[in-house]
Amino acid sequence: MLLAALLIAIWAGIAGLDMFNGLLHIHRPIVTGVIVGLILGDLKTGAMTGAALELVWAGMVPLAGAQPPNVVIGGIIGTAFVILTHQDPKVAIGIAVPFAVAVQACITLFFTVFSPVMHKADRFAEEANTKGIERINYLGLTILFIFYFIIAFLPIYFGADSAKAIVEVLPQWIIDGLGVAGGMMAGIGFAMLLKIMLKKNYVAFFIIGFILVTYGHLPILAVALIGLAFALYDYFKTSSDSDGVRRGAPKRGI
Amino acid sequence: MESNEKVINQNVEVNPDYYVDPSTETTLTKKDLNKMVWRSLLLQASFNYERMQAAGWLYSLIPGLKKIHKNKQDLSESMKSHMEFFNTHPFLVTFIMGVVLAMEEKKQNRNTIRSLRVAMMGPLGGIGDALFWLTLLPICIGIGASLGSDGNPMGAVIFLVLFNIVHFALIFGLMNYGYNTGTNAIGKLKESTKKVSHAASIVGLTVVGALVASFVKLNTSIVIHAGAAKVALEKDLLDKIMPNILPLAYTLLMYYLLKKGLSPIILIIITVIIGIIGKIPFPFGTIF
Repeated sequence: MLLAALLIAIWAGIAGLDMFNGLLHIHRPIVTGVIVGLILGDLKTGAMTGAALELVWAGMVPLAGAQPPNVVIGGIIGTAFVILTHQDPKVAIGIAVPFAVAVQACITLFFTVFSPVMHKADRFAEEANTKGIERINYLGLTILFIFYFIIAFLPIYFGADSAKAIVEVLPQWIIDGLGVAGGMMAGIGFAMLLKIMLKKNYVAFFIIGFILVTYGHLPILAVALIGLAFALYDYFKTSSDSDGVRRGAPKRGI
Repeated sequence: MESNEKVINQNVEVNPDYYVDPSTETTLTKKDLNKMVWRSLLLQASFNYERMQAAGWLYSLIPGLKKIHKNKQDLSESMKSHMEFFNTHPFLVTFIMGVVLAMEEKKQNRNTIRSLRVAMMGPLGGIGDALFWLTLLPICIGIGASLGSDGNPMGAVIFLVLFNIVHFALIFGLMNYGYNTGTNAIGKLKESTKKVSHAASIVGLTVVGALVASFVKLNTSIVIHAGAAKVALEKDLLDKIMPNILPLAYTLLMYYLLKKGLSPIILIIITVIIGIIGKIPFPFGTIF
């Protein structure tokens, strides 16, 4: 059992990395089900459970950075329990989803606490230290691997109930609070971009972009094309005014 | 504080046209480009909410940047600008890489490179979501899962083969396409770099405005009880004034604090504290 739990945990680590890196999609339940089945010696049940879980997760994809319940842990723990406890593949969903939701919360937390590391990366960039930038990326991979390894190992080795107790030690409001902070944090990234890009004569375009999404609910592509239309108009307008080439030259009459 | 000094240093505006070594003789080979495609598989290795894919994006570009910028100061300037917020679809990123590398190679104005990068990342992110997560993936799953439901492990193999043929054809194809597009475009743009930079900034800022509205998430769940009347602060008041008012206010506050010279680290700490306080279960409910 220890060996099987270790092998599954290693697979969870690899699949967990594939979810964000590589994206070969070996992390989907349809694949992890087969691998877990192979490790536990029941390929057929593994393939069937994987397919069942795959259909559950088919609609849950990471759109615009929003995280659905974690598909890696859902697929792996779900399949493992079906095979180990000889349950019907449909039961897998009930066992898999609570873990998948907890893991999703932890990943949110990780994406939040990893933000300060970016300032170390800024330092490395300033020093033109390419090795430093590489190390930061490898650090992210290492943490994710270890995290998935532990989360998959615990319930399979100790049983689902005792593992759930371990997963639930953090008070919910702290996890939720970090989730809220995570949602806000992109604002800092945009503020840093604005600090460099925003000049008085561009404020109008920032407002237009914001309004088109807020009130118009336009997709980003549409907004970018509208921005492009302004840019083209401006570009050709200033080339017909031979003296208007100065950057940010105010248009006449405004 | 040492980190504060660094931030202040970044405030010093370096002429975006200035390169210590302005030579444009280096040409990236197909081998260089392909190497960077492989590295782009780690685009999200250091994903986080503040810069999202920025460090992974820089990681992917490093071999090219090192080859192009032999001068250390040039390399530093280039790396710094590529550590700024970045987020796009991981299958379409190589197109942006190709265009950006072509521009770096020709030592283009840094503001133009930045604006183009920002202008491309948003739309390609949305296109990628629709093409891959909502179209390609369901098709491959459908084919694979129908075999898998019968207990046939070949379903997994077929799923992986189908999906990755498209995946790898795209990322390698788009890198070369982007690079050639970039190189040709630079050749055609005879106009002054400032005009191009100005046009690019217009698109860039429009996209940033759109991204703030769609990526920054903040809303309050405070309910004000006034006698028998209940007013949900967000739904009944703030959304009536303007939806997304809190994300905008928060972003502008961060912008203001950055301009005041506060280090981004402090801003992160403030953000985490606000987030956690917002979720404390007070007697009247939570703030967020």
